[in-house]
Amino acid sequence: MVTEDSEHNIINYIYYYNGGGVAAGDINSDDLPDLFFVANTGENKLFINKGNLEFEDISEQANIQGNASWNTGVTMIDINNDGLLDIYVCAVSGLLDFTGHNELFINNGDGTFTEDAKSYGLDFKGYSTQSYFFDYDKDGDLDVYIVNHAVHTNLSHGRADLRNDRTANVGDVLLRNDNGKFTDVSDSANIYGGINGYGLSASIADFNNDGWDDIYVCNDFHEDDYYYINNQDGTFKESLDEAFTTISRFSMGSDAADINGNGYQDLITLDMLPKEERVLKETEGDDAMFNMQAHLKKLGYKDQFSRNMLQINQTGDYFIETALLNKVADTDWSWAPLFADFNNDTHQDLFISNGILRRPNSLDFKKYVSSAFKGREESEGLEWLYNSIDKMPSGKVANEIFEGNSEIFKNQTGNWIKNEPQLSNGAIYVDLDLDGDLDLVTNNFNQAASIFKNTTNGKANYLDLKFEYKSTNKEGVGSKALVYSNGKSQLKQLYKSRGFLSSVEAKLHFGLGKTSKIDSVKVIWPNNEYIVIKQPEANAALNVVYQEGGQIYDYSKNKEKNIIFKKEDFINFTHKEDNYNDFAEEKLIPYKVSTLGPAFALGDIDDNGFEDIYIGNSVGKPAILMLNNGLSFEKSDQPEFIEDINFEDNSALFVDVDNDGDLDLYVASGANKSPKYKTDRLYLNNNGKFTKKEGLVPEDQFITSTVIAYDYDADGDQDLFIGNYSQLGNFGLMVDSYILVNNGSGHFEKDQNFKLTSKVTDAKWYDINEDGIKDLIITTEWDHPYIFINEEGKLREMKLPNELNGLWQTVTMYDFDKDGDKDILFGNWGLNTKFNLNFDGPLMMYHSDFDRNGVEESILAYNNDGKYYPLNTKDELSSQMNVISKIFTDHKSMAGKTIEEVITKGSLKQAKSYKVETLASGYLLNENGKFDKFIPFDKDFQLAPITSFLELQLKNENQLVVGGNSFRVNTYHGAYSALKGLLVKGKDRYNFVSEFGIEPFHDQIKKIESLKMKSFNLLIVVSNDGALRCYSY
Amino acid sequence: MKVKRLLLFLLILSCLTSCEVENEPIIIQSEDYHNAIDKLTEVMVHDIFSPPAASRLYVYPSIAAYETLNQNSEEYLSLATQLNGLKPLQITSYKDNINLNLAALIAYLNVSEEMVFSKEIFTNYKDSLYTYWDNNNKKEFRAARSYAEEVSSQIIKWMKEDRYDKTRTMSVYNIYSDDPSVWQPTPPAYMNGIEPHWNKLRPFTLDSASQFKPAPHPDFSLEPDSQFYKELMSVYKINNDIREKGNESEEIAIARFWDCNPFVSVNKGHYMFAEKKITPGAHWIGICKIACEKNQTDFKKTVYAQTKTSIAIADAFISCWDEKYRSNLVRPETLINKYIDPDWLPILQTPPFPEYTSGHSVVSSSAAEVLTTIFGDDFEFLDTTEIPYGLPARFFKSFKSAADEAIISRVFGGIHYESAVYEGKSQGILVGKFVDQKIQFLKFNDKDKSQ
Repeated sequence: MVTEDSEHNIINYIYYYNGGGVAAGDINSDDLPDLFFVANTGENKLFINKGNLEFEDISEQANIQGNASWNTGVTMIDINNDGLLDIYVCAVSGLLDFTGHNELFINNGDGTFTEDAKSYGLDFKGYSTQSYFFDYDKDGDLDVYIVNHAVHTNLSHGRADLRNDRTANVGDVLLRNDNGKFTDVSDSANIYGGINGYGLSASIADFNNDGWDDIYVCNDFHEDDYYYINNQDGTFKESLDEAFTTISRFSMGSDAADINGNGYQDLITLDMLPKEERVLKETEGDDAMFNMQAHLKKLGYKDQFSRNMLQINQTGDYFIETALLNKVADTDWSWAPLFADFNNDTHQDLFISNGILRRPNSLDFKKYVSSAFKGREESEGLEWLYNSIDKMPSGKVANEIFEGNSEIFKNQTGNWIKNEPQLSNGAIYVDLDLDGDLDLVTNNFNQAASIFKNTTNGKANYLDLKFEYKSTNKEGVGSKALVYSNGKSQLKQLYKSRGFLSSVEAKLHFGLGKTSKIDSVKVIWPNNEYIVIKQPEANAALNVVYQEGGQIYDYSKNKEKNIIFKKEDFINFTHKEDNYNDFAEEKLIPYKVSTLGPAFALGDIDDNGFEDIYIGNSVGKPAILMLNNGLSFEKSDQPEFIEDINFEDNSALFVDVDNDGDLDLYVASGANKSPKYKTDRLYLNNNGKFTKKEGLVPEDQFITSTVIAYDYDADGDQDLFIGNYSQLGNFGLMVDSYILVNNGSGHFEKDQNFKLTSKVTDAKWYDINEDGIKDLIITTEWDHPYIFINEEGKLREMKLPNELNGLWQTVTMYDFDKDGDKDILFGNWGLNTKFNLNFDGPLMMYHSDFDRNGVEESILAYNNDGKYYPLNTKDELSSQMNVISKIFTDHKSMAGKTIEEVITKGSLKQAKSYKVETLASGYLLNENGKFDKFIPFDKDFQLAPITSFLELQLKNENQLVVGGNSFRVNTYHGAYSALKGLLVKGKDRYNFVSEFGIEPFHDQIKKIESLKMKSFNLLIVVSNDGALRCYSY
Repeated sequence: MKVKRLLLFLLILSCLTSCEVENEPIIIQSEDYHNAIDKLTEVMVHDIFSPPAASRLYVYPSIAAYETLNQNSEEYLSLATQLNGLKPLQITSYKDNINLNLAALIAYLNVSEEMVFSKEIFTNYKDSLYTYWDNNNKKEFRAARSYAEEVSSQIIKWMKEDRYDKTRTMSVYNIYSDDPSVWQPTPPAYMNGIEPHWNKLRPFTLDSASQFKPAPHPDFSLEPDSQFYKELMSVYKINNDIREKGNESEEIAIARFWDCNPFVSVNKGHYMFAEKKITPGAHWIGICKIACEKNQTDFKKTVYAQTKTSIAIADAFISCWDEKYRSNLVRPETLINKYIDPDWLPILQTPPFPEYTSGHSVVSSSAAEVLTTIFGDDFEFLDTTEIPYGLPARFFKSFKSAADEAIISRVFGGIHYESAVYEGKSQGILVGKFVDQKIQFLKFNDKDKSQ
């Protein structure tokens, strides 16, 4: 039980409601796992498992109740390797009036324990969260990483490099086991220990499959998480930046396991994004970080987002974050994640414990307490504040469970476990009744603990593995096992501490599904020797005993790569965006329209047989022209490009507009505050010098996204399609795109028969109906794609399947299903995006001057279970529409209200509305020239918006390179960078580009292009606000 | 409040007697007007209005009250055609026997209610008064209300043309700049810059927001011998010296007394929240009340004094904010943390807008200037304005000496360079003098110095 008073409460100690851990292990050697529960302030409890889920409380005689004021995490570990499980309990000491230290209860073997942390050097005194035992230096014994947490001080909000300054109590520590005595080696092992380390959990695993244990540390608040790669020499290298692009902000519990069966352990970190609409709008969210995030970036912190992160391990090199795709991102105030096969179907499932007694981040509470210190002394203010804590809303939330199939998770809350609000913190899985399935135990806050009995029982087969390793690590912590069965392998690695504050048994549990036949089991011991056990019996606990002299497992085999692409540095160009911020101007829009560059065009300017490169730039930086001589590139001096430095270039095209035999240049201009620099430009080529010529094309003040050329009227000159995307400052406005007809001498006029008002993102000329003349395909946002069949210069719109309104980004034609004809492939927003979380019906955008102030607003509403809610928070809405502050004076009054209730039905009716019905990228299947069926791509294509397709020839086979990502999005989204690049042969045959020597795409990809050099080809990857990369192949 | 205390009793009384007895006249005095202002301040603090927005909140209700009183006054002139955009009012419901004080108070409440966020607090307050008046003397109340509504609706219409609504939805301050001289959000809450478009509002008297554009601040420089750097180091040093003297020092007392920052964020455990305070404008409205009470001004003069003071404050904000987002100058805290001392904290929390010129300096000087025209120089008073916010009273020999203390408090507080406060003072005096010269309140003797 935790009691509160004016000294001891969530206001004075931020982790007052974090709860306690639970541990399982057989302490009396009767094969039945016993349970230990941590009490924060009361007495810890030890229960002996009597079988049949009956337990006996032996806490008092066992002498484990603890002496520290505030206990947190617990690990059962046989520290002295006497075959009896000891118990290590973490404590917070030195904060408030908390005293004591972390305690080690040595098992006397007779149902009693003796606290002896000091003799082992484990009597750490500080703000400890949980301990993690593992053998990081491979000397055979178990070392320990202790996660400690910071508390808010003015200093802990400082620079990121504070993490280098080790701070007592707060900094995490790594203790090396030197013959049974633990020594602090944190500094020499390169472990951060700064005042800003709000450590709430860690996950130990050999993430990169090199045979050595790595560490991922979850830090709450602004401090980045830490990803320590084991250097195999007693030190670690913190490598978060190299391996992760998207991390959780308020990282709490975590777990690691191979969930997709690729042999690499994946990771989940939990956060606190609410699911329920009312709670979501009553709680402070990422929108409050609009400025703070920019500030934290300046202090050296990484961008972080408040939602759970499911990090899929790509061959140990980098992680792909997929929580939104899996819909495991928003489980509210979440503590312990546990990966395990609960239904014994061979696939890892996921349990998440949830709930907080009171929500300290309630927006109305924060406003309410604003008067706390008004005219009061600080102590008086705190007393007053404490007396008000009942005004904090309850944070009881149901625990959640998800069924895995190695591909995607499916929510089974309400089916597998009851959907009832709880306050569960520490949690473990353990087969309490030895019936071959994993039960769940949660330590609940100020309530009796819960046991969830697993009723899978005999319905599916299983195998349990226990280890007997060397005498210095008897339980075999760190051992890996690969179980081969039914053509599938499963990997697990044995560690005790998992999830949050808790520890599981020294036992690996494998579900086998319908088959009871196991081909073999491979056990890799902590010293990397391995043994193979052939066809062990299923539905039993197999005890694997270490024997010296096993073969060393060769990890290098898995690392071999098929290097086709070699990185080159022919073109040194880094695009840097200017400082324009769309969200400062239009506060409700979901993404920027100003960061679509750089423009990129290929064309043989000097007629030497090699294509040259134009790269347009952002406002304030000049475009460049790189001349290609087949061996290298040389920058061409172009004074007019310098003159036009104030333009933002979105797209460019080399095209001979005046029929003089050389390539001229059309540059499509992007967002610009000045009307002077909004207009598109046409440069004529005069012997290699480009001169801007005005008056040849009509003035275009819109943000232009694309320009393409084709002699569509077959009169012997190049005509242009100009795709317009948006009008700066009015996001929801649909704008006109048009075709420019060339009069033969480079003078253009709009084709009056062609009308398109939309938000065009991309366009291509392709011969769709194979009549020898090219037709026009156009992608748009908040609209469906368009296909115009070219009938002798007349463009007739072709009907497409229904419900294709999307956020389409790009298009290509490619024989995706390998049936001999080309399908039409569309890049859309993807499913690993925040829009996907509330997509029970089309996403809506309403566009109107809602507050009648002469400026039009664009308001988004999403569909949650049939009802439409505003996407934006009350604070955001009122920053764009002052009237919202008057209608809703607190957050509670708007929270849970539908868009009709917030904006009023009448206003919505008068507004123009646009919708998104499809988020998935996919293709229109070519069935004998008919395109009547849209088929979504596999999930690996849905990881982020797709913005670019490139077809290239590789080993005599046409393949597609696919790229995307988006950093254009607002705080609601965070950032999308999980589409690391695919190399695609066909719909079922594709790989990640990183397997072939191309660096994973971490940036927002603008364009992927390929050109021929004298003796090789060059692949060019162009990013927004990032470095251009090229690879020879 | 007298009215409230009697409310219940009178309600009962009126029920028992209303049919038989001729109703007493409703008496509205200066005190009632001050009470209404205090109520407005209370709601304003609750709603956390920014300092410029708060200044607007005080001025329109006051003008409505003033105009209600003085459509046919023998002493005071209407402000129509004197204030920018205010046309002569169209009045049809005026009668000679109307209770003008009552009507003025109703007009004040009407416009206030229109402006605040937490309308219900104000509506409840208004309704309880209305019920009381209606029961007390239906006829007198309803006549006054009709007239007041006629005036207040026209004032509201004029108010709505001041572009305030448009500026609500204009761009927020864009922090994406690498220029070290440019203002950046400050710890601990890193709020957006407040009211970057305040200069687009219609001023009350000024020809334009930039009419009294101050001299530019010293050129940004981190060279040790530059004026800018010297002023920066002086802020750093003065703050450190004061801190050494301790919390009981006069400088800290002065800094806290004039803090008037409604955005102060407190960081406790999980919390970062706004510590509610009044704004600089509200402080000077409070001083005006103290002066009225000390001189026992009658209702008309009270309304006049409050109206003139609030106009001077409102135009001072427009003038100051015009310069703030013209110069966009970085705060001392940002520079000191970046270049000198990463752990330094100013004694006062840095308010969330650019540094130059000091808002408190402009506003205090402008307010002191017009208060002096009304109550005279050498007007001694005990300033009790901050008592509800936990700060002791301070004594001043004159309005201008109070303003001078407000000005220097910003340097003591570590949130302004010296140039910002001294240039701000000059700017404020110019605004105050201009308000006094441009607007004629008194029909016969505009330079009425004291009662």
